[in-house]
Amino acid sequence: MPIRRRALLGAIGWTGLISGLHGYLNVSWPAVLNGYLPEEKRKFNVAYIPVTCHLACPVTDYISKFSEAGEIFLPRMFQGFPEIKEALIANKMQAAFIVAPLAIALRSQGVPIKVVYLGHRYGSAVVVHKDGPVKTFPDLRGKVVAIPSRFSDERLILFRAMKVFGIAPAEIRLVEMAPPDVAGALAAKAIDAFSMGEPFPSQAEMGGYGRVLFHAREYWPDYMSCVLVVQEDLIKRRPDAVQILVDGVARSGLWLEQGQKYRENAADFVGRFYYNQKPALLQWALTKPLTRVMYSPLAPRKADFDMVRDLMIETGVLDQKIEFEEYTDLQFSDRASIQTAWKYEPGTSSAQ
Amino acid sequence: MTALAQTRSWEPFAWPLLTAALLLLLWHFGVRQSGTDVFPSPLEVQRGTAELIRGDLLWRYIGDSLRRVAAGYLAAASVGIPCGLLLGWYPAAAQVANPVIQMLRPISPIAWIPVAIVLFGISDLAAIYLIFLAAFFPIVVSTMDGVRNVPSMYRRAGRNFGLSPAGLIARVILPAALPRMLVGLRIALGIAWLVVVAAEMIASDSGLGYLVIDARNSGKRYDLVVAAMLMIGLTGLAMDLAFRQAEKLKSIRWGFRDAH
Repeated sequence: MPIRRRALLGAIGWTGLISGLHGYLNVSWPAVLNGYLPEEKRKFNVAYIPVTCHLACPVTDYISKFSEAGEIFLPRMFQGFPEIKEALIANKMQAAFIVAPLAIALRSQGVPIKVVYLGHRYGSAVVVHKDGPVKTFPDLRGKVVAIPSRFSDERLILFRAMKVFGIAPAEIRLVEMAPPDVAGALAAKAIDAFSMGEPFPSQAEMGGYGRVLFHAREYWPDYMSCVLVVQEDLIKRRPDAVQILVDGVARSGLWLEQGQKYRENAADFVGRFYYNQKPALLQWALTKPLTRVMYSPLAPRKADFDMVRDLMIETGVLDQKIEFEEYTDLQFSDRASIQTAWKYEPGTSSAQ
Repeated sequence: MTALAQTRSWEPFAWPLLTAALLLLLWHFGVRQSGTDVFPSPLEVQRGTAELIRGDLLWRYIGDSLRRVAAGYLAAASVGIPCGLLLGWYPAAAQVANPVIQMLRPISPIAWIPVAIVLFGISDLAAIYLIFLAAFFPIVVSTMDGVRNVPSMYRRAGRNFGLSPAGLIARVILPAALPRMLVGLRIALGIAWLVVVAAEMIASDSGLGYLVIDARNSGKRYDLVVAAMLMIGLTGLAMDLAFRQAEKLKSIRWGFRDAH
């Protein structure tokens, strides 16, 4: 065979091979094909990050796959909130789990999204070095504490605790870090503490280098952090699809509250198929104790959001008062209140 | 315009300014045509920049970034040049070290971020370390090549004049290798500045790289993101121009063919 033909064949073969491998390994075909479906059948993308605050998202996806109607949406995992925020602004994600203050801030900056449901209650904690110098909250004076975002409830619980102890905001240095990085940074003593959602406090506890200084509920009794937001045009065009999504999340929440067995099962499949975290870690976060994170009741309440908004204004991350009704849409949570838990037993292959 | 054409005195300024103006127009109309409400127009960026100047932030941020880059770059030069001289002088040493250098060189500074945090915590030192790493390898490699390519005739002549090894390096090798080293130093300075965004991702609280991250984190402030990007570009341009002035110095001018 002449050398030119051999080179040509080699080049074609190589291109074919890497294209095939790319298509097999990297491309999410359900997401690509979804774009070609007629609009009323198209599933929407729901963004989440691998924290237990967003656990209802993968749980709903996993269980709904066994149901007759099939999966409800396309879950899309991100690693941090800035990326989700950009995808929402660009309307690439039709729905997302984000921290409540970020949802309020985006809405006040004119991004057309609405809060339709909560993701969870409780499940955030402030963690310090296990045998370090910080024994009580006032010991954090002059220390560096990592938070997931300036628009996060994890930052606000620190301010609530500061108020209790009469500490000025400038006395503690807050740094923004991607949630998956904080446990490593604490282990390396690069930070003195972090305020994060589960499973990162559990990760530090399990690793033997972290100690929970306090859980969010100690300074914020009905603590909520992440909420489900949906693009406004989707609410107008396909309210029925949004209702199915909210119903699914509500049913997953009730399913998770049925006891130890269900939580262990969720830790197993979410860790393996979604979060790429050790199931043992999620199991720790979800069962020690069972009330560490809770997934019911999840209907948004005005009093909770007003408090978040006022704290945001007080701490300088929101410059105007925005009313609860402007950034929430309660019709879906009202209807979801009659839902019951998924009828799904761990290990079986049918769900209702 | 060919390389031989005589340039008139206004040309070096007018053409680049015209290009910049055309790009700005293209940008302005591109944003208006697409109807995006996310990507900022040049006017919005200008307003964002004015806001930064009013808040006394812009100069402080530029100063802080320059300080970090200067520290990392000077550290890289003061370690890299001796290393390069040594490796160029002893080919055997180069043979041993070269594979390691070539292996470490292509690792992106972003990949070093976790290591930098573990070593230096969340501090200026971590950012400076990343800039050091980015600038170090081009300096070592160009110095090594520069020394290697000094014609052996020069060395022999130096020895015949009775120079000690130290004298030979200082008075013959270094000046002879300088033009090549300078190219490496200039490339390294560009890379060091390039890395400033990644370096300041590590929880700094000032600097142009921090401004990009901070504006990104603060919701919908893409005007500030683009303003920071432009400032990084303009400062890089100024640094490169300053460095080119250094190349005109008499002691190194001989190495460049088109220097007159």
